[in-house]
Amino acid sequence: MDKVLITEKLTAIFRTVFNDEAIVLRGDLTANEVANWDSLTHMMMIGEVEKDFSIKFKLKELGKLENVKSLVDLIESKIGSQGLQ
Amino acid sequence: MNEYLIRKAEPEDIPFLADVVIASEKGMSDRLSFTTLFNKPEAEARELIIQMFEEEVDGCELSLSSFIVTEFEGKPISGSGAWIEGFNGNMPSGILKSNLISYTFGKESIAYLKTKSHIVKDLQIDREPMTLQLEYFHIKDEHLGKGLDAALMDRIEQNALAEYPALKKVQCQIFKNSVFSIKILLRHGFKIVKSYRSDNGDIFDYLPYNEKLLMEKVLKIN
Repeated sequence: MDKVLITEKLTAIFRTVFNDEAIVLRGDLTANEVANWDSLTHMMMIGEVEKDFSIKFKLKELGKLENVKSLVDLIESKIGSQGLQ
Repeated sequence: MNEYLIRKAEPEDIPFLADVVIASEKGMSDRLSFTTLFNKPEAEARELIIQMFEEEVDGCELSLSSFIVTEFEGKPISGSGAWIEGFNGNMPSGILKSNLISYTFGKESIAYLKTKSHIVKDLQIDREPMTLQLEYFHIKDEHLGKGLDAALMDRIEQNALAEYPALKKVQCQIFKNSVFSIKILLRHGFKIVKSYRSDNGDIFDYLPYNEKLLMEKVLKIN
């Protein structure tokens, strides 16, 4: 799965979890810029990403996420190493 | 006070700190959000809290490095957590805590939370960057009324100022029914600056109370 497809899937997750159909993902987008991105919705976003991409993040990986680009890169590397189911 | 030793928490304190978290979270109720919002029995939630402390993520309320403990006759009798929000480039503590919970509790618990999050969302309070955040403050009953609370508060502030001399404020989020703790905070110079309320009728099944206070203390500039 390439980054374009990952971003498309991620956009759908973000729009649902953060309850905003207008969200457009860009690489440098951070939690501070998304209105409903708080500790509760962050947990749900991580849960949905893990479920939809059939991956499991390590805690250290979560701790390094700085923006959407780092999330897309991480998903791509996890799919590559775990295989998309 | 000489019989008490106040020190930084060590890894061997972690099971005690899990008990501190549980007692503080319940407050004046029997409801523990780690069980009610994540569909876990208390014993399992306690083990998961221990696991989160063991990950040693700094900068949030589940960080070993945030805690000081008091020892009496070689045993811990109080635990208090505090950290400077976003210090040293740390992520917001809410995100750090969420990462810990997501990683430790597992997908079934997060899926359960998803069905309950609307009930508690009104009591989510953002934490102000570069302020000292006080969370989880518990002293065993038999050691109350001996001046330990004031000594602990002073130590927490001293430690934070040593780390970050430009610190201006201490903040604490507390349920309104935690009358005893609120009294301690007021006595120590905190003021109530804002109140957050949920009118969701189910809230009492999940959290200790339907109203949370943001309390704040402005530190004197030396």
